Amino acid sequence: MTKSAIGFAVAAAFAVFPFAVQSQGQPAWKQGMPEKMKDSKLAPHAGKMTETPASEIPVSKLKAPRGFKVELWASGLPGGRAMALSEDGKKVYVGTRGIGRVYEVTDAGDKRTVRTVVDKLTQPAGVAYKDGALYVFAIDKVLKYDGIAGNPSAQPQDLTEKFDLPKEQHHNWKYVAFGPDGKLYVPFGAPCNVCEPSKEYAQIRRYNADGSGKEVIATGVRNSVGFDWHPGTKQMWFTDHGRDWMGDNAPQDELNRLAKPGANFGFPYCHANGIADQDFKKPKEQACKGVTLPVRLMGPHAAAMGVKFYTGKMFPKEYQNTMFIARKGSWNRSKPSGFDVVNVRAGADGKEAKMTPFLTGFNESKDSYKFWGRPAYVAQMPDGALLVSDEQVGAIYRISYQAPTGQAKAKKK
Amino acid sequence: MLAALFSSIVFSQETCLACHGPDGNSVTAGIPSIAGQPKLFLETQLVLIREELRPAPQMLPLVKGMKDAEITRLAEHFSRLPAKSVATGPADPGLMKQGAARARALRCGVCHTADFGGQNQIPRLAGQREEYLVSEMLAYRDGQRKGGDTIMAAALYGVSDADIRALAHMLSRSPP
Repeated sequence: MTKSAIGFAVAAAFAVFPFAVQSQGQPAWKQGMPEKMKDSKLAPHAGKMTETPASEIPVSKLKAPRGFKVELWASGLPGGRAMALSEDGKKVYVGTRGIGRVYEVTDAGDKRTVRTVVDKLTQPAGVAYKDGALYVFAIDKVLKYDGIAGNPSAQPQDLTEKFDLPKEQHHNWKYVAFGPDGKLYVPFGAPCNVCEPSKEYAQIRRYNADGSGKEVIATGVRNSVGFDWHPGTKQMWFTDHGRDWMGDNAPQDELNRLAKPGANFGFPYCHANGIADQDFKKPKEQACKGVTLPVRLMGPHAAAMGVKFYTGKMFPKEYQNTMFIARKGSWNRSKPSGFDVVNVRAGADGKEAKMTPFLTGFNESKDSYKFWGRPAYVAQMPDGALLVSDEQVGAIYRISYQAPTGQAKAKKK
Repeated sequence: MLAALFSSIVFSQETCLACHGPDGNSVTAGIPSIAGQPKLFLETQLVLIREELRPAPQMLPLVKGMKDAEITRLAEHFSRLPAKSVATGPADPGLMKQGAARARALRCGVCHTADFGGQNQIPRLAGQREEYLVSEMLAYRDGQRKGGDTIMAAALYGVSDADIRALAHMLSRSPP
């Protein structure tokens, strides 16, 4: 069966794990999937483990607002998703899931070259870069490569023991990033579609860069694989995937704001904007008690992933401090949801969050699954252009902005 | 150049058939049938084996260093060969019934499709070799099949040896 880099990536949601299973005397698989859905044909989309040649990537089908230009920036990275940039932006490190590799893309201006830094890892989805070192997080391993941007043969230091990684794998592939406090933020998803997991899961932790100082900073988080920090308040904002098998339209994925370490985001009892779970019940008034509700709903089963606050100078001013969020796209829904990059603007307090499509065209039908690409993460280059990774075709797009000529002239006057 | 490529493909295909059966339907215990498997499933497994993520000591020397394009061509080729049932011996009515009941309860058909023909990255089980299905399901259940999807292990969690045998019996005798 598969671990297709990506499809399997998606697999994400539907397994149900060990916990609670035996006590119920029924297989874990049934958990969370109601009898009425037993004939459902919804299954995770297949990923692609092989290279897609640049000539087979229909980048011209991608649409962005007027003045923005989308180009294919790098290809030949099967399963490529999260991106971490070196200080000068000349190296981009890219994590994967099923194919077990971390890539290094070198930007030589007019072209890019790709090499594999490390392979044979168990879903090395998490990559972070700080002070000249690359950090790689597989499900069961943490590696640090000092000085790798200048030294391709840099050998890794194994930091696994320091990070106290739990043993279940499901939903424990990572997105990782350093916060403005210099700490390394690492999520630990719930190893199930829905369950009452043991205390190591369904949370986000932060550590010192060497793995010391472990601290749980958010709980009740089902599966977050994307976050960034507000440029002004320095608070962490993160996406979280909603559970499956509760129907086409609920519960939606979330965009959350962590105002204070220690907040609880509801899983498994309370989803989205206050929907009580259908399997793990508490008395009505209890399910969402004390739960921090999302800043914004991100669409049902949409797979909201990478989050990036825009701080560059290239895009028009109205994009300053707004978020670009990649939605990889649904599978547990009869019609597609997501398959785009959206722009979300909200007050620093999270109020009045508005979402508008930014990059579309990955799925060619509103009503059915006719997708050729799946946007996963967004990164900002030193010149203010955006990079968007596409996990399905193993490619990275660059989005730049140039004011339409009429407008530029008007400005000069 | 094309000729060289072609000959290398032919060579690879023949190499495959030595173990996987003359037409991709295995007649050897412990070796799976690959004829008529979904193309993406074959492609994915070949990549996983090449990347040494799914341990397969006999396969590794054959696929090591193989280019993606050749893997894709092999996958395409075998996906087009007709699948045949290789089950020997009559179906046991009790096991067939038990297997079908378990498959329903475990929702196997959601991913593997109602006739167990497989789709995309998910393999065809119908007509697959019985003992191969048993050994792989046991391995999934016990966390011994590396490089696989976390979903499949979860799907079999807590399923008894007897139920796995019944599932394999029923699947191997389902028309491919």
